[in-house]
Amino acid sequence: MATMRRSIAAVIAGTLLTAATACAQTGGGGNGGAADGNYPNKPIELIVGFNAGGSTDTGARLMAKALEKKLDATITVVNKPAANSQVAYTYLSRAKPDGYTMAAVTFPSAIITVLDESRGANYERDSFVPAALQVVDPTAVAVSPDSDYEKPKDLVNAAKKNPGTIQATTTGVASNEHFALAQLEEETGAKISPVHFADGATDATAAFLGGNADVLLGNVSDMQQLVDSGKAKVIGVMESERSPFLPEVPTFTESGYDVEMSSSRGYAFPAGTPDEVVDKVSTAMGQIIKEPEFQQKMKDAGLAPKYMNADEYASYWDETSAQFESLLPLVKEEK
Amino acid sequence: MESFSFLIDGFATALSPQNLLFALVGCLLGTILGLLPGIGSTAGMAILIPLTLSMDPAGAIIMLAAIFYGGAYGGTITSVLLNIPGEGESAITCLDGYQMTLRGRAGVALTTAGVGSFLGGTVATIALVFAAQPLSELGLQIGPPEFFSLILIGLALLVGLVGRSVLMGLISACLGLLIAMVGIDPVMGEPRFTFGLPHFFDGVSYVPVLVGLFGLGELLATTGGSAPRPAAPRLRDMLPSRVDARRSAPAVARGTAIGGVIGLIPGVSSAISSLLAYSTERKLSRHRSELGTGAVEGVAAPETANNSHSNASFIPLFTLGIPASPAIAVLMGAFLQNGLTPGPTLFTEEPDLVWAVIASLFIGNLLLLILNVPLVGLWTRILAIPYSVLRAVIFAFVIIGSFAVANSVADIYVMIFFGILGFVFRQVGIPLAPLVLTLILGPFLEGALRESLQISQGSFAIFIDRPLSLAFLILAGVILLGSVLSSSFKRKAGLPADAEV
Repeated sequence: MATMRRSIAAVIAGTLLTAATACAQTGGGGNGGAADGNYPNKPIELIVGFNAGGSTDTGARLMAKALEKKLDATITVVNKPAANSQVAYTYLSRAKPDGYTMAAVTFPSAIITVLDESRGANYERDSFVPAALQVVDPTAVAVSPDSDYEKPKDLVNAAKKNPGTIQATTTGVASNEHFALAQLEEETGAKISPVHFADGATDATAAFLGGNADVLLGNVSDMQQLVDSGKAKVIGVMESERSPFLPEVPTFTESGYDVEMSSSRGYAFPAGTPDEVVDKVSTAMGQIIKEPEFQQKMKDAGLAPKYMNADEYASYWDETSAQFESLLPLVKEEK
Repeated sequence: MESFSFLIDGFATALSPQNLLFALVGCLLGTILGLLPGIGSTAGMAILIPLTLSMDPAGAIIMLAAIFYGGAYGGTITSVLLNIPGEGESAITCLDGYQMTLRGRAGVALTTAGVGSFLGGTVATIALVFAAQPLSELGLQIGPPEFFSLILIGLALLVGLVGRSVLMGLISACLGLLIAMVGIDPVMGEPRFTFGLPHFFDGVSYVPVLVGLFGLGELLATTGGSAPRPAAPRLRDMLPSRVDARRSAPAVARGTAIGGVIGLIPGVSSAISSLLAYSTERKLSRHRSELGTGAVEGVAAPETANNSHSNASFIPLFTLGIPASPAIAVLMGAFLQNGLTPGPTLFTEEPDLVWAVIASLFIGNLLLLILNVPLVGLWTRILAIPYSVLRAVIFAFVIIGSFAVANSVADIYVMIFFGILGFVFRQVGIPLAPLVLTLILGPFLEGALRESLQISQGSFAIFIDRPLSLAFLILAGVILLGSVLSSSFKRKAGLPADAEV
């Protein structure tokens, strides 16, 4: 009975919370200087540029809950879903750099919105101060279970033999899957045609399962259940290390192809945010991500935990940005 | 009948007082969340998931699932009573639902929607129990080319929606398609018609558009005093008469079938099911000439279809592990966070839980019925609020709802713009239905066309080579030809053309 009463209380609290979150607006502004050592002393707004319930949102809400305890602060997650997070990044770049506004940052969105001039983004890499990285989800390559392809080499050789006839799903133009194909072509000369499913992984997976595309490209964390149910065979992961989700699957690197592609998720503040604030949040996030219990929660939600501190994340951002910039002409020309 | 005995066990779990309470709370929460446009059940579920982690998995999932289908019903209430579509899927219900309200038949409309939803949802759940595996294979047969041809059927049915003036109907339909073109081109990756505003890169979200056209447009029109105002129904007008029941029955049956089949296709919004169901009524119903003027079929068909769709979309989740809609994706997140991976293995690994959830779908549908039919009286009391007060509340409501879609002020401007447009439409007699249809179908049509052409490497033959796609194309052609011929016949015979929406 006690658990039941607690559950009911949770439900009622939830109702109130839902209402509160729904109405939550851009609080912020005002005073509350961050650099005076008593940060945080008012609610922190965490902007998520994707819909509530998506994987970025799921990770951010897990983090927000843990961070609230760690920092003894109130963190409000605000979803501003539009334009592959561009609206959220614009909002962040214009926010007061006092440590009370931060945003979930995802790659490739944070990079591609800057690189692609047609999007007219009015922020750049330097508009943000990275705080910490939480998730790295490598791109994996799956084929139908009865396919002849067993390892990356089989696919690459087949694609070289008949350039452009093998078709692979992506989750849209300039998605990490699209960049993965460009990188594969640049590295090996194997040309695989993309089929863009701009509405995302669900449509791509359904089309693949219905036999409308030969190869399914997607985040490795999403592949696990397809493998478990025998609907797909993953032949390679585009990373230097094997994935904890599918440890038996070889990487492209170990197969001799220098192809590394992933989507990743972390957090950033607007440029000009005091260093001690960024450090404090970054350190707290590092402690959280290293807790085994938190790691388990993330894995249950299909998120591959990987922590980088502010400096590591900053250089990772620069490297990834350079990598994408060099591949951009290929992606643009391919369409 | 192995599944049957599993189902009985499932009922035993789902009927425990605690789980029953969770289902009830979920239904109520969903209904309330559904009332406010912009905050749908999807967002509600996403926000509540962290709280459910302390509950046991069956209870958590039962409650979240109840929020999911409760939300659809909440949207219906505002569509019928206030002409504000709470969700895309109940937008088309505004057409006849609000007309019924104006005639004092709000109670009948809500009760019909409730009963229809119950029947549609229950039939879809029965299909889930007995034929999940073959049905999910059927869903996968609908690839991009088949889907494109299927949507063409929807567009062909549009002819039935244009009303008295074909010109006015086409203006409305083209405008809908134009709005649907806004956003980043799905293949070239370049922004189109966005005025350089990132807010529109994903397209104009249709909730503010619909809320503006219907809700604010109506508000502006009634302010002038020219339009009729809704009346609170008398108590004896609450329940559908025998005539209503007889007229609704075929509409409910067709709605169930349409929603049930479309719901199997992964990635398709339930708004499409309700649109197709409504358009089909315009074509097939014996009282089709009355649709748009407050015919009970116009409420029964789409409301049944969207609930049938919602329940059918559990089939791809349970059998393939693919979330068929954003709301189901959130529900899938709840499964994952409770350490359960949806998919065929779930039936063998966690049969107790799966069957408890399936049993709760039956119970939830029933609860929604028991909960909402008596509440119809309460909801319709909203209309007894003096109109001067109600109007102010509605105004606040449409603004908050539009803002809540993406926590963005830009959507409020969108809503106001389309509110003014909706007012103009009413003044010059342009029907709203074609715009709703093309606005919602447009992005799916474009996406499917371009995905198909990428698959076929640019050859249009893909639409004819695939048997299912060809069948859909022929059906679309027959519908189109049929409407053209019958309308020219009508004109010759001097019969009155269809009433205007």
